[in-house]
Amino acid sequence: MSNPLEILLLDDEAIVGKRLKPAIEKINCNVEVFQDPQLAVERINEKEFDIVVTDIYMDDMDGMQVLDIVLKKSSRTKVIMITGYAMISLARDAMEKGAFDFIAKPFKPDELRVVIAKAAKALGSSVDLNTLLKKQER
Amino acid sequence: MPKTGPVISEALENENDSRETSKAGYEHMGDIRKAQKELLSRRHFSVKNQIYLGNSLLFLAAMIMVIVLIINNDRVNNRLKFLEFVDDFSSEILQARRYEKNFFLYGTNLNDAIENIHLAESIFITESEQFSELLKGQRDRQKIFAKIGVYKSLLQQLYQHEQQEKKGLHTTPFAKKIGLKLRDYGKDILATSNAMINIEKKAIEKTLSHSRYIHISSFLALLAFLLINTSLLVSRIYSTLNRYATYARRIAAGDFRLIYPRRKFRDEFTDLAVAFNEMIKEIDTRENILIQTHKMKAVGTLTSGIAHELNNPLNNIMLTAHMILEDYHDLSDEERIDMLKDVAVETDRSKKIIRNLLDFARESKSTMESLDLSKLVADTLHLLENQIRFSGIGVDLQFMENFPKINGDVQKLQQVFVNLLLNAIDASTKGNKIQVIGRLGDTSESVKVSVIDHGQGIPKQIQSSIFDPFFTTKVKGQGTGLGLSVSHGIIAKHGGSIKVESEEGSGSCFTITFPIINFPGINTFTF
Ligand SMILES: Nc1ncnc2c1ncn2[C@@H]1O[C@H](COP(=O)(O)OP(=O)(O)OP(=O)(O)O)[C@@H](O)[C@H]1O
Ligand SMILES: [Mg+2]
Repeated sequence: MSNPLEILLLDDEAIVGKRLKPAIEKINCNVEVFQDPQLAVERINEKEFDIVVTDIYMDDMDGMQVLDIVLKKSSRTKVIMITGYAMISLARDAMEKGAFDFIAKPFKPDELRVVIAKAAKALGSSVDLNTLLKKQER
Repeated sequence: MPKTGPVISEALENENDSRETSKAGYEHMGDIRKAQKELLSRRHFSVKNQIYLGNSLLFLAAMIMVIVLIINNDRVNNRLKFLEFVDDFSSEILQARRYEKNFFLYGTNLNDAIENIHLAESIFITESEQFSELLKGQRDRQKIFAKIGVYKSLLQQLYQHEQQEKKGLHTTPFAKKIGLKLRDYGKDILATSNAMINIEKKAIEKTLSHSRYIHISSFLALLAFLLINTSLLVSRIYSTLNRYATYARRIAAGDFRLIYPRRKFRDEFTDLAVAFNEMIKEIDTRENILIQTHKMKAVGTLTSGIAHELNNPLNNIMLTAHMILEDYHDLSDEERIDMLKDVAVETDRSKKIIRNLLDFARESKSTMESLDLSKLVADTLHLLENQIRFSGIGVDLQFMENFPKINGDVQKLQQVFVNLLLNAIDASTKGNKIQVIGRLGDTSESVKVSVIDHGQGIPKQIQSSIFDPFFTTKVKGQGTGLGLSVSHGIIAKHGGSIKVESEEGSGSCFTITFPIINFPGINTFTF
């Protein structure tokens, strides 16, 4: 088994981090959760993450800025954008700027896990979703 | 408003008395019916009738004048005839006296003198009847008549003697005695008739000057009457026309208070008032439709923001529910309770988000109430939270401490601020600030709220059009152009006003002024 993926999750809604952290950890990833974009950016500058999941739309700083910062720091990092439904056009812009993918609120934990798996694949590592799915079927 | 005479004067709406009963409420169909009924229940006194009446009175006055003049004329005529008669009479007497003198001087015969005195007597008998009044009654006439009689009998006496003695009678002492008497009586009669002539001449002069006086004074009286009649009529029509011009201006300014009767009677103008009220009702209904139309548009705009905001709690609920499902058996009771609590909190949050919009969108019966504008503006900002956040604009709310309450319709005023804030957001670019400032007005009876943006501003040449319905510079589908027109209407109905100051390129400032507690005719206007 490969090293766990390093993931940073940024959303100003506390519950998003609270719920997604265990959900993603289940697929063998290390997750650091942030609510404050400022702190998240500091952390990004300290450490190179494999995947950054960020909400586009936050009060102090928007996801696009985070995207720029991440890509400037390390171009191999995959950035997944979370958007509200009204922001689809923004999400397209993000894709053009180099985001890996986007996911629209509201979403299920599995939807994000699928996108993370895709990103992992693109990174050359793999995430085993099957065991998880089997577990759920039980 | 010129006030002219008690009949026509009709003060404009007395605004104070209508304030007392400010039970408020916008739906006033009943009020219209009441106003129309009151207008029509007064006694009818039309302008037409006033014209007829004035002319009839004028005709009557003229007729009286003519009659008086005719009577006066008759009197003069009568006097002239009398003069003629007295003249005839005195000339006969004069003639008789001449013959009488001849008799005494030359002894000519007396026949002619007797004949003349007979003639004088018969003139007097036939004519004096007619002028008895002018002869100052029966007694004077009788006196003259007696004198003539005496004169005649003296002549007759002489005549008899002449018949007997034939010659030289006029030199006898008897004749001389009678002659003296005759002279006295003759003089007396002549003097009386001369006196009568003089008196009559004076009387005629007097009557003539009287007649001149009547002419002049009746002419002046007619003139005065005409002036009064015309000025009453003119001022009645003018003042009422003026009043209606004021009404029309008022309605054009968005003040839809009904016209109530101010006079004790009704006339052609009442029909106009009834038609005005009918028109006010129509305009009012139409404006309500516009208000509603624009509100639905605003609700549409807000909905997209609300929908986005709703995504957050919905996402939280979805994630939590799925994680509960996924890990149900692995979770401790505490964790499960914590997660369910999150769900409960987030559903509550969703409800609040929707409630705000629904409150605004609901077509509720509008009511006037005492309200706190600073709270109302804060609530409105809350409603617009998403629009504000999306556009990356900061909003600064500064309301004076203890901001006075005003009377108003919460929903309608919220609509006004939604319009102004959406306009400000549309005009601003990311990073701009919008300020909402509440302070006292220029008079202590008013408050001012300004919505200030630092956006694109409004070009001078369109500043006068922005309050027109359907005026918009926004692309089709984006703007209806109803926002400011509807806001203006709503504010006018609150007795307030809205003004704009703007400089192209540096921003705009919309300032609304509201009266603090009272506003005119709250119970007589309708939405
Ligand atoms: N704060 C502002 N800054 C610049 N222009 C403004 C501002 N407010 C209004 N305007 C101008 O006035 C016009 C009329 O505004 P109004 O609110 O009546 O209609 P609208 O905003 O175009 O349409 P709607 O209100 O239906 O969105 C606008 O199209 C805009 O040109
Ligand atoms: Mg508008």
